[in-house]
Amino acid sequence: MIQFFKVHKTYPGNIKALANVSFAIERGEFVFVTGPSGAGKTTLLKLIIRAERPDQGEILVNKRNLSRIKHSQIPQLRREVGFVFQDFKLLNNKTVYDNIALVLRAVGYNKKEIPKRARQVLKVVGLDERVLKQPPLKISGGEQQRVAIARALVNTPSIILADEPTGNLDPELTVEIMDLLEKVNKLGTTVVVATHNTDLVARYKKKTIPLYRGEMAA
Amino acid sequence: MKENGAAHFLSIGTIAISFFLFAAFLLLPLNFASLLEAWEKKVQIILYLKDGVGEQRIIQLTGELRKEEGVREVQYISQRAAKESFERDLAGYGGVLKGVKEEIFPASFEIQMDERFRTPERIRALAARLSTIQEADEVQYGGVWLERFSLFLYTLRWGAWILGGVLVVIVISVTANTVRLTLYNKKGEIEILKLVGATDAFVKLPFYFEGGLQGVLGAGSSILLLLCLFHFFSRKVAPYVSLYFGELSLSFLPPVMIAWILGIGVAAGLLGGLLSLRKAARI
Repeated sequence: MIQFFKVHKTYPGNIKALANVSFAIERGEFVFVTGPSGAGKTTLLKLIIRAERPDQGEILVNKRNLSRIKHSQIPQLRREVGFVFQDFKLLNNKTVYDNIALVLRAVGYNKKEIPKRARQVLKVVGLDERVLKQPPLKISGGEQQRVAIARALVNTPSIILADEPTGNLDPELTVEIMDLLEKVNKLGTTVVVATHNTDLVARYKKKTIPLYRGEMAA
Repeated sequence: MKENGAAHFLSIGTIAISFFLFAAFLLLPLNFASLLEAWEKKVQIILYLKDGVGEQRIIQLTGELRKEEGVREVQYISQRAAKESFERDLAGYGGVLKGVKEEIFPASFEIQMDERFRTPERIRALAARLSTIQEADEVQYGGVWLERFSLFLYTLRWGAWILGGVLVVIVISVTANTVRLTLYNKKGEIEILKLVGATDAFVKLPFYFEGGLQGVLGAGSSILLLLCLFHFFSRKVAPYVSLYFGELSLSFLPPVMIAWILGIGVAAGLLGGLLSLRKAARI
């Protein structure tokens, strides 16, 4: 499903982000990408959605070679991948409903189906329909992250990428969100979580891709 | 556009003022041209005669003048007829001409030109020939100022187009800046849209639309404003102007020109949006 072959990425100023990284993630797996800050975790996730291009190496996502896809094919790739951020990245000037509906409108959902789909995905993430009319800042941090996951799931992607999804949450909420991601994974979605939280990795015992200063750690 | 109301309002206002100036500059030569045409029709040459020209010579001169190329009509105005005409013009001033002798009024020939010959050059040429007549005291015609007026109109027309070009650049710049402001305000939304797989068209089209809409609203507002001022001028001011300069037949911009102005507004707005999006390279 996701394959990296000797991938290198260097940012301007000769900043090495990734060097000679190779791994494979199968369909339906739950994988942690671990390492301290600056290890290259976020860069790795950005490469998967083609927000960055590798300087060397090949990346395959759902059998697409990202080095060769055209710019016009990138939207289609991204529709198969949901992204969850540490800081939620919800639009605070819109309601929860509008935050979710935005995705559905962007990918061409039928207008009449949008409300139904929004309610469905809220149920999956364990939120009440009442939050739909609220702006994100009026709900709790845990609820906001659930909304963010709902937004990532609403288009039924085959892959969910989460970049430090529990970084801004307390331990209790951290467990809630991780349990939710596990639930999503059990429904068949491949989940990749980037985290520097070693306790989390130890608790959930999933496959790990360890990074250190851009390289695969032992 | 709802979210950035004040910026859009200012932008549309600036575009409206720009197009108003442009449209006004187009309207002026349009109406002045018809005024010029009306005046040209009234252009006549007046040949003032020296004192003491005999009746026979007047008859002879009348015949000679009628034979001149381009002359449609020749009318002799005697000293008495000139005094009577003056008296009629000053009818409201009581007996101001009482005691004034008709001898102080010069006899003249009023010469009407054929329409084809009412060009400044031909009028000037005929006037030059008439001034060589022995009995001619003075030859008058409105040619000089008409020629200058014609040149003024020509300059005004060119000025309108040059000004139009400058104003279009202003409109593009104003629209681009407003779209850029919207882009900045919507940065978060755009980032999400791109991440979830929105196509470039889905992301960019609203901005093109915004630019085009600003352009057409600005251009449309300018036409409406100009129309209001035109109506005001036609009803309130033109009748007084007609007293001095003859009857004014005013006309507003023709529909084709209005359509062009609106079209240029849309195009300039779209171009502003396009330029703004190109600069925001990551979009």
